[in-house]
Amino acid sequence: MDKVRIKIDHNKCTGCRHCETACSSNHYENMVNPALSRIRVYIDEEANQFFPVIAGPFTEAECTCKYDVIIDGKEYDECSVCRASCPRRTWFREPGTGVALKCDLCGDPADPHCVQICNHGALALVEI
Amino acid sequence: MEGYIGKILRVNLTDGEFAVEDIDPDLIRQYVGGRGLGTKILYDEIDPAIDPLSPENKLIFLNGPLTGTGAPAGSRYMVITKAPLTNTIACSNCGGSFGPELKQAGYDGIIFEGCSEEPVSLWINNDEVEIRSAIDLWGKTTHETDDLIKAEIEDKFVARDTQIACIGPAGENMSKLACIISNKNRAAGRTGVGAVMGSKKLKAIVVRGTKGIRLADGKAFNTAIKSAMDKLNAGPVTSEALPAFGTPVLVNIVNECNILPTYNWQSSSYENAGKISGETMAETIVTRHKGCFACSIACAKCTEIEDPEFKGKGEGPEFENVILMGSSCGIDNLGAIAKASYLCNELGMDTISVGGTIATAMELFEKGYITEKDAGMKLNFGNAQALVAMTEKMGRGEGFGAVMADGGARLAEKFGHPELFMGVKKMEAPAYDPRGVQGMGLQYATSNRGACHVRGYTMANEILGVHEKVDPLITDGKAALVITFQNLTAIIDSAGLCLFVALCPGFLYEEVQGLLNGATGFNYTVDELVQAGDRIWNLERLFNQKAGFTKEDDTLPKRLLEVPAGPGNKVCELDKMLPEYYKLRGWDDGFPGKEKLAELGLE
Repeated sequence: MDKVRIKIDHNKCTGCRHCETACSSNHYENMVNPALSRIRVYIDEEANQFFPVIAGPFTEAECTCKYDVIIDGKEYDECSVCRASCPRRTWFREPGTGVALKCDLCGDPADPHCVQICNHGALALVEI
Repeated sequence: MEGYIGKILRVNLTDGEFAVEDIDPDLIRQYVGGRGLGTKILYDEIDPAIDPLSPENKLIFLNGPLTGTGAPAGSRYMVITKAPLTNTIACSNCGGSFGPELKQAGYDGIIFEGCSEEPVSLWINNDEVEIRSAIDLWGKTTHETDDLIKAEIEDKFVARDTQIACIGPAGENMSKLACIISNKNRAAGRTGVGAVMGSKKLKAIVVRGTKGIRLADGKAFNTAIKSAMDKLNAGPVTSEALPAFGTPVLVNIVNECNILPTYNWQSSSYENAGKISGETMAETIVTRHKGCFACSIACAKCTEIEDPEFKGKGEGPEFENVILMGSSCGIDNLGAIAKASYLCNELGMDTISVGGTIATAMELFEKGYITEKDAGMKLNFGNAQALVAMTEKMGRGEGFGAVMADGGARLAEKFGHPELFMGVKKMEAPAYDPRGVQGMGLQYATSNRGACHVRGYTMANEILGVHEKVDPLITDGKAALVITFQNLTAIIDSAGLCLFVALCPGFLYEEVQGLLNGATGFNYTVDELVQAGDRIWNLERLFNQKAGFTKEDDTLPKRLLEVPAGPGNKVCELDKMLPEYYKLRGWDDGFPGKEKLAELGLE
C-alpha cells in the first residue's frame, strides 16, 4: 500500500463530487452519503475553484497555530484545504458519532474508487 | 425504500404547519419519480383550472430515484406546479447539488401549499424543519440571497455544505418568466415556476442533509454506473463536444444547417454566428469547466467578461440563450449576451424566454408598433446596450420592463400583433427553426409545456444523428420519432437524470433501466418503463385538458406555418404530422380516450 499515492490536480476538478458518492458507496454497503466520504470537494463558488481533499489523520484538537494560503490570488483559510479529521470541521467525521474517517486507498492492493470514477483527470493513482 | 427515500415533506405556508408523509411505493413504481410522480400528486390535489398564482396552486420540489445516488448526470430535482407563463402543467428541472442534498436530508421532495403573508424561507437540517422570516432577503438577487443565507450559518464549514434554492426579484414580482435558482447559476428555468414561489412569498429553501441514501443492490448499481459512463465516454457529444465547449457548441452546427433563429425568426442563418459560437466562447471568455453533482460530462462553463461596458462573471451563456439573446436579437456582442445572461441568473429569470421576449419587442419596435416613448429606449435589432438594460428592467419590474416581464405572447398581443410572438402556448420557442427540422415543429406544437426543446429532442436524430440519422426536412416518420423521444424524456426526467445522457448513442431505456433497478430494486422491465413514459405524457395531457386546452392550441406561430425558410425553403408542415401523431398516441380528437386511459391505468 505504501508504493502508491493519489495525485490531485485541482485545476482539472469540475466540482462534480462524483468522488464523494463513489467513496461512500464503497465503504458502506448499499449506501451513498457524501457526509461519510473520505474525500470531499471544497467548492468556492465565487472564485470557481474546486479543491478535492482526501481524509488524513485524526486529531483531537484544532490547531493552535494557523496560516492562510493564497491560491491563484485568493486567500484561503488553511482549514479549507486541510485533510485532518478535526473537531473544527464536519468533514471526515461520521455524523452523529463523530468517529474519524480516514482514506484507506480502498484496501490493499490500493484501488481507490474516487480515482476510478473521476472522469475529468483530477485524481490519479501514481506509483511512488 | 431504496433509491428513493419514500418520504415527502408537506409544508403549508398559510398556517406554517408541516408534516412528513410516506409516499406509496406503488405510485413511485408507476410514475418512476420526479416529473411523473409530481404530476400525479398535483393532478390529484389541485383543480387544473385554477389561477397558477393563487394560494390554491401547489409548488412541488421532487427528486428522481437516481438523484444524488452517484448515477452519472443524476443531479436533477424537478419543480412541478401549474405554470404561470403557459397555464399548462409545469415541470422545470434543475441540476447542481440542491436535489442531492435534499435527499440526504431524508426527503424525496417538498410540497408547498397555501401562501405566507410575509416573506419566508424554509430551513431543513435533516429532521429539523423550520420556517424563518425572509423579510431581510426580500428584494435581494439570487447571488446576494445565497451569500446572506450562508453568512447566517454560524459554522462556515456547515455553511459550505448547505444547498439553497431561491428566487430573485423577478420571482418576487411574479414575472411569468421567473425561474428558481440553485448554486447561484443553475436554474429550474422555464414556464415561470419562480413566480409561483414568489406568489407564496417563499424566498428560499435551505437544506443540509447527512443521512444517506440506501441502494437496493450496490454492486449491480455500480455495474450500471460503469456501463452508463462507458457509453457517455464513447459518445462524441457527451465526451468531447459538451465538455469542451458546453451547449454553445451547437451555434455553428445549427447555423450551418440553416435553422438558427435570427432577427426574431425572420431569417434562419446568422452572418455573425462565429462571433457568438461555443468555439469563440472557449477561446475568449471561458475560465473553467464545471459539473453538476456526479456528472461525468461537465458541460457548465464558468465565464468572465472583461469589457468594462459589460463587465461581469458567472456561468454560461448556454446555447439557447446565446441564440435568443444573440442572433434572434441581431446581436453579435458576446459580452452583452453574457452580461444579460448573468443578470437573468441574478434576478432569477429564464434566459430563453427573456431573449425571445426581447427579440419580439425588437421586431415590434422595428415595425413601429412599439415606440421609443413606450419602451423608454430604442429597441432596434442589434442594440446590445438595450438587451442588457431591458433585461435588468424586466428582472426588477421597472418601467417598460414590467410590461415585458410577462413574456412575448402577452406583449405582442398588447401591441396588437400576436403573430410576432414566436412560441407556443405563450412560451417562447427555443433555438431551432422547425422549418428546417420538421420533427421539432411537431414537438413544439404538442409539448405539454409549450414550445420546448427538452420535452422531445428530435434534434438528436434529425441533425446530430445520435441514435440514427434521419432527414430533418421530411415529415414521414416524425410523429413516431417525436413520441419516442417524448416518452423517453419523461422517464429520464422522472428518474432524476439529466437529459443530456440521451445525446449519447445507445443511451436509451436499457441504461436507465439498469441504473433504476440497481438503485430501487424494482426490477423494471424495459416495456414497463416505456409504458410509464407514455403514462406520464398522457397524464400531463389530461392536466392540460382540464386546464382548458384544446387541440387547437397544438399549433405554431404563423410565420413558421406560412413563410418558407431554411435549407429546404419550406414551411413547417405541421398539418401533415399532427393527425398521425394523435393516431399513434391513441388519442381521439386530440386527447386520450377511455381505451387509452384504461391501458395506462389512468381511468
